[in-house]
Amino acid sequence: MKSKKKKLGGNDTRFAYALLAPSLILLVLLIGYPMIYNIVISFQDVPINPRMASEFVGLDNFKAVFQDKSFYQSVFVTLIFTVLVTAVSTAFGLAIAVFMNREFVGKKLVNSIIILSYVVPAVCLIFAWRYMFNNIYGIINYIIVDVLKLADEVPLWFDQPASAFILVTIFAIWKFYPYAYMSFVAILQSVDKSLYEAADMDGATSWQKFLAVTYPAIKPTLVTVVSLRTIWVFYIYTEVYLLTKQVNVLGVYLYDMAFATHDFGKAAAISIVLFVVIFSLVMLIRKKVLRVEED
Amino acid sequence: MKKIKRKTLKEIFFYVRVVLLVVILLFPFLIMLSVSIKSTAETIAYPPTVIPKTWTFQHFIDIFDPGIFPYLKYFGNSLYIALTVSVLAVFLGILGGYALSKLKFKGKKGISEMFFLVYMFSGILLIVPLFRMLSAIGLKNSREAVIVCMIIQTLPTAIYMTRSYFDTIPKELEEAGRVDGLSKMGIIFRIIVPLSISGLISVFVYAFMIAWNDVLFASIFIDSPDMMTIPIGLNSLFNTPDYVWGRMMAASLVTSLPVVIMYGFSQRLIKGGRTDGGVKG
Repeated sequence: MKSKKKKLGGNDTRFAYALLAPSLILLVLLIGYPMIYNIVISFQDVPINPRMASEFVGLDNFKAVFQDKSFYQSVFVTLIFTVLVTAVSTAFGLAIAVFMNREFVGKKLVNSIIILSYVVPAVCLIFAWRYMFNNIYGIINYIIVDVLKLADEVPLWFDQPASAFILVTIFAIWKFYPYAYMSFVAILQSVDKSLYEAADMDGATSWQKFLAVTYPAIKPTLVTVVSLRTIWVFYIYTEVYLLTKQVNVLGVYLYDMAFATHDFGKAAAISIVLFVVIFSLVMLIRKKVLRVEED
Repeated sequence: MKKIKRKTLKEIFFYVRVVLLVVILLFPFLIMLSVSIKSTAETIAYPPTVIPKTWTFQHFIDIFDPGIFPYLKYFGNSLYIALTVSVLAVFLGILGGYALSKLKFKGKKGISEMFFLVYMFSGILLIVPLFRMLSAIGLKNSREAVIVCMIIQTLPTAIYMTRSYFDTIPKELEEAGRVDGLSKMGIIFRIIVPLSISGLISVFVYAFMIAWNDVLFASIFIDSPDMMTIPIGLNSLFNTPDYVWGRMMAASLVTSLPVVIMYGFSQRLIKGGRTDGGVKG
């Protein structure tokens, strides 16, 4: 009996690896190998002409990156952007989830509307924003200047670093908050309603109820949402690049280095720096997030 | 009496806030819709209008005319990429998800953690080596290069989703299949898969959305307008005479429709279904 069980286990292992083989091969070929190849490229001077051989240059690419003023500027912008977008999109998603955590007419419809900006392709949303914030006939300028009379003049939204940064930040918050919202909705539904009623009897305010009942229940989810969002925003590219050329986050800096400046060596060096930062972040939070994900 | 009144007021206040929230969140979509049915002259008129003075569906007709607007070509490319990616992601997800959910083997924990790490990384970090590698084997300017990259982007989540779905299927069903003489593969595809259809549809929808919305890999690997997907194709028209606001908005709405419908459908499936039908008696 015992030997049979053991044999069954052995078969399981072989079968499991057979099933996982295609995925693992893809992972090695398209993640593992490129990671090593990236390190190789970062030590090379790569000519634009693919037929010319690359030259080993040691740490030159890294030195160049660390001496580049726009690299530090990019790090700075990325950090502020990441903190702002992660904090506000998570808080906003949570606030709406708490606000909507009751029965009301049209709840399903409102729910679908909230998720829209997360589902709709970024490009489509960006066309709408470009139109709304147009310098000449944009409706936002019209509302600010002519309807509310808040200002006589509005910035050229997309063409100045400060206003472009504000715009991209709001856009990213609007695009990503539904992820936080969806994560919290499910958890909030599982919170025992009688706990709120008990708090009500004690005369607790909304904020006290949130701290005493809601917060302990959502804390693990909060950790996951904040961690994942931080990482994703840290290497964001698409949303920023499509909206404006004025906000030089690290993702855009890296992309331009590779495909506008065509300096692959330096671009590889930047991705390694980025990789090290994200990897440390992941390692720092891995235990916490993994535990939540496995529950 | 007073108490009831206060409660009603509170309710009204609640609904006012809901409506306000909806209007703000929906505003960009309303603009999109409004511009898509405005005349071209009205789209660039000042002051701007929210409700169009004249209504026209010309933009929607125009974007489907290959003679004046390349939308259908972009649509075909996007569909080809997204369908291939999602079919493969579901298939690999079934195999990998089954192994991680139902089988006991050495290295299981390590492999799940590895998939989870990949899930957090990827994206832009590997564009340089991926571009060099895939160009070197002749996949430059091809939709296949995008497909390959999108598969690896979606695979970890696909496996994770199928695994958690398979976890809800009771072991007895598999044993019943074994008694009936089904092979190991037979158990997966005859018993587990039919019971997980709604879960597998959400994996499909997830992968489809990621591929359909992708900008990064398409912009790296595709140069010629013939091969462009909707996002990079439409974006490449910016600042060209073809960039007619009405058409861009009409195209945006049509582009959003498949993913919004699919997403809504998959959400509905998840809330119903599961494996309730499987273990009766």
